[in-house]
Amino acid sequence: MTADRRTFMKGVSLGASATVLAPILTQLRAHAAGDAKATPKRVVFVIESNGLIPSHVQPTGLNRPKNGSDKLIDESLAKYELPEAIAALAPFKDRLTIIQGLSGRVSEGGTGGHSTNYGALGCFPGSKGAMAQTVDLALADALPSVVPHIGLGIHSRPETTVHYSLSAVGPSKPAPIHCRPELAYKALFGSVAGGDNRQGFDLKSNLLDYMADDVKRTRNALAGPEKEKLDNYLEAFESLRDRQVKIDGIKDSLRKHAPKSNKFSSPVETDRLEGQFDLAAAALIAGLTNVVTLTSGGGGQHYITFTGLGIPIDGHGIGHGGGHIGRTWADLRVIIRQFHAKLIARLAEKLKAAPEGSGSVLDNTLIVYLSDSGEGHHPNLKEWPVVLLGNLGGKLNAGGRFLEFPKYQAKGHRTIGNLYRSFLRAAGKPNDKFGMLDTGLRDLDMTGPLSELVVS
Amino acid sequence: MSRSAIIVAGWMLLNLQVGTIRAADEYRTQVLPFLKAHCVKCHGSEKQDGDLSLTALKGDLATEKAIWTQVLERITSGEMPPKKEPRPPELSTKAVTEWLAAGLKLGGGSSPKHGNLVPHELLFGKPAGAVDPPAGRVWLLRPEAYFGLVRDVYRGRQEGLTQPFASSGERGFKDYSATSSVDEAATEILIRNAELIVARQTAYVLEDGKPKWANDTIGEFKPLFANEAPTKAQVETAFRTQFRLATARDPLDEELARLAALYEKNLKVADRPSAVRTTLTAILLRADSIFRVEHGSAAGKGQRLLAPKEIAQAISLALADQRESSLYLAATKGQLGTPDEVKSQVRRMLDDPKARNTRLMKFFREYFEYELATDVFKDRAKDLMHEPRVLVADTDRLVQDILNRDTNVLRELLTTTKTYANYAYDEKKKLAKPAQTKNAHNNKRQSPPEAAYGFESWPEVQPAETSPGQRAGILTQPSWLVAHSTNFDNDPVRRGKWIRERLLGGFIPDVPIGVAAQVPDDPHRTIRDRVGSVTRAVSCWKCHQRMDDLGLPFEQYDHYGRFRLSELVLDREATAKNVDKKGRLMGNVLHEAKLDTTGLISQSGEAKLDGPVQNPVEFAKKLAESERVRQVFVRHAFRFFLGRNEMPGDAKTLQDADQAYVKSGGSFKTLVASLLTSDSFLYRKP
Repeated sequence: MTADRRTFMKGVSLGASATVLAPILTQLRAHAAGDAKATPKRVVFVIESNGLIPSHVQPTGLNRPKNGSDKLIDESLAKYELPEAIAALAPFKDRLTIIQGLSGRVSEGGTGGHSTNYGALGCFPGSKGAMAQTVDLALADALPSVVPHIGLGIHSRPETTVHYSLSAVGPSKPAPIHCRPELAYKALFGSVAGGDNRQGFDLKSNLLDYMADDVKRTRNALAGPEKEKLDNYLEAFESLRDRQVKIDGIKDSLRKHAPKSNKFSSPVETDRLEGQFDLAAAALIAGLTNVVTLTSGGGGQHYITFTGLGIPIDGHGIGHGGGHIGRTWADLRVIIRQFHAKLIARLAEKLKAAPEGSGSVLDNTLIVYLSDSGEGHHPNLKEWPVVLLGNLGGKLNAGGRFLEFPKYQAKGHRTIGNLYRSFLRAAGKPNDKFGMLDTGLRDLDMTGPLSELVVS
Repeated sequence: MSRSAIIVAGWMLLNLQVGTIRAADEYRTQVLPFLKAHCVKCHGSEKQDGDLSLTALKGDLATEKAIWTQVLERITSGEMPPKKEPRPPELSTKAVTEWLAAGLKLGGGSSPKHGNLVPHELLFGKPAGAVDPPAGRVWLLRPEAYFGLVRDVYRGRQEGLTQPFASSGERGFKDYSATSSVDEAATEILIRNAELIVARQTAYVLEDGKPKWANDTIGEFKPLFANEAPTKAQVETAFRTQFRLATARDPLDEELARLAALYEKNLKVADRPSAVRTTLTAILLRADSIFRVEHGSAAGKGQRLLAPKEIAQAISLALADQRESSLYLAATKGQLGTPDEVKSQVRRMLDDPKARNTRLMKFFREYFEYELATDVFKDRAKDLMHEPRVLVADTDRLVQDILNRDTNVLRELLTTTKTYANYAYDEKKKLAKPAQTKNAHNNKRQSPPEAAYGFESWPEVQPAETSPGQRAGILTQPSWLVAHSTNFDNDPVRRGKWIRERLLGGFIPDVPIGVAAQVPDDPHRTIRDRVGSVTRAVSCWKCHQRMDDLGLPFEQYDHYGRFRLSELVLDREATAKNVDKKGRLMGNVLHEAKLDTTGLISQSGEAKLDGPVQNPVEFAKKLAESERVRQVFVRHAFRFFLGRNEMPGDAKTLQDADQAYVKSGGSFKTLVASLLTSDSFLYRKP
């Protein structure tokens, strides 16, 4: 085997490794041929803390019925202006779908009544930790890529390298949110970051091979639950080893699209978040991943203090009514929201500028913007506003649309779980059992996707 | 039949709706009647409140652990059966919770927040039999111990390395074997760190074609970087050295052979220095380097003592974050083979005045959680320099003093009237000085940090005596009060929860589904009034009655920790009248509302402890006298130093530790020594 290593790497598009690479090569070929059906689909979740207040995403001039609507409201967005908080998304209005009136009560009970943690993307109680797979990782299964899922974010403590509380691969298997852009950059683009990287790359492969074998030996010498403790360590080496082979297959693309930014290790949190958005864009365009979760302090109440926006109070303080020099908590929240909207718009612009098939990467992407804390700082989750940008290559009936679903417990009411099931269906891996059902809605049919978004 | 087998059988019986009742007498006489009388009415086959039917479960405590844990949580917290239903007799509640706690094995395998689910009476209720030791375990190094390893490996240095492991994010003690885990992201960091360490271990520059070594390059590695090819023996020595550094043991021949194979494989794709470095990196990533393995020494069916090297590591990491060289030496010399040998080593370490047993202090920080004061963001106070770091350092120093005296430690911690206040010590000048003084950024009205303790000027002699009747122990230290406050206010709920869990050993479930509680932002009302207006609603009070009344005595202090005699609230009338000539509002007017510092200890589990308290000082003194509080403190020490929850089989260890503490006149070190030499610590089941 030792002698075969080089041959193995050289023959990477043939033989054994072809199975690993096949989907990616197919993608790349399809990509080149402009085959719309086979172009990869991509999903980005943008999660912020403190709740996405319904009025912040309500189109100007479209009044919401007090206490929620009794019937479905389905309007074109074209007639209305976007509210100031998300005005930055105006250039993409025809791709936007603003959804009001979904609930997510099953996700309650997270940290101190604030974040619903894994529950936000998993539709299960927020207090239960990583209880099951979350929707982003389920989508990663449906949309395989070199790196199945990338979590990027910022944390209240700048020195934090990875953080867990939003995404899960499966029960008790949290997926990381990388909180330091400069380290995330090394992990994702380090292999082509310049210099003599080939030798380093081969040595890394040797190291990972050896470690997988070595950990397996230690593990096999143990019994019972002890053994399981080492499983994660073993899986990590195996997965990293697989990734090496895959990354090697797309190195030209990586080299071409590696992001250049001087903000990755900035002490200012807004810079680092911008850096993470840049990394996300580059990873999507380079074909490194198809699913990204971006978070601005979401999960586990790691509230950010946005000094970069001139706000010295953290998100929790603002949530509890804190203001600053003549600006009320409401003003501050709009300022923060505007910043996030600007980052989303920038991301969309970059994806739009990247050609794919007869259109752009953005055409095949869905950006989902919501809060891990539903509709407010202390949410009751009877409503959970969501903004979608894009339609996943026409797989979702979305864009230029405003939807308000009937209020909680009213006939026709739908939940965030229905929305996620729509995504899974659109991504080609329907799972109508995804998420838990709200027992408060047992009189209504809460199964299936949102028929309004299903492409007939 | 083992005890847990009986329990499983018991649940199966419930599932079969009585019917074939065979063994399990205790179950039949205690548990089943309880469930039938108090649970099945709402959670049975006819009605399933909360979508829970106890009869629908298969009775497998392993696969249905989550739901049974919830059942236990609800009963233990008093939330179930609901208040409107008849109260089950105390004795039968006790029987059921004890059965569940034992069967669910909530000790070893669960998170710190489940620790109190094992009923106190089960551990201290009657004289305990022999310890039932836990199964062997594998335990990821905590971040500090990982850095300790790094320093062991690389001559005491760690700069530039990144902390790889994520915290579980749960409250409570941080280093728990069950909650520690490593994943891909952490592994990537471990690899990067290992590469960086090896780069430094082998650092040199070429001068005239020859390597010029950095000062602290490891000697055994040098021949592998020389111009002439190293001998096989030199290569082996290098790998052997790295192996010893990483795992504190010699490699087996088979392990060396595989390293040699990796090295050869590396040489095929890279130059020699890089091939060597990658091999040295692999050694640092070994599972038995990153994980603590606690197996027990001899094979066999009975319980077994940990192996000497395992003991050396376990005790090193219980008391500090790095290998203790004398312990490892003793292990090598075969002097850690009996519990008595372990005892003398532990005593040596605890009695050594020069030993840096950093974990002792760390316990108090994590137990009291006053260190969290720096995480609570507060507006800048108009009249006080609020410096949470200083407050934490002051309390650290106070705790260290008490620990140094090592007499009546818990009582002192809960009642001392002394304090440090804005204290720093200049090591060079051998002089105490204020940690923070006013500077140009502070306005004139801001008092320096010692004002938080009630001092008008900085006390020259510290620890200083606080004003009579104002303070008693850690719970009245500004650091603790701030750590358990919100951004804008006191937080009686959080304070009460801490006392309920950490001192009374009670259990409070997570905020239930459907609660969107928010303390109303009514500046004209007192905190007591505002909190109560929300939590005293019937559905909330069933849990909050176990918290609020324990936290409210601390209304004696404002949310910066300052003693006060009244609470300032908004005077709405006066504010409305406070207008200038043109009728414009000129700002808020406050008035003094009467301060109520009363509280109530209830359902503590110790009859003489229950009852009203008038103020925090009286409260703290009362707690300090309680046997129950002392035993709960011992339970927490157990969790911290053994890295797991106590199980019913650990009763003897806990009782011994408690008695050792009492008999030694309240010596914390004696308590720790008792825990570290207990069968729970030293033995494993196969």
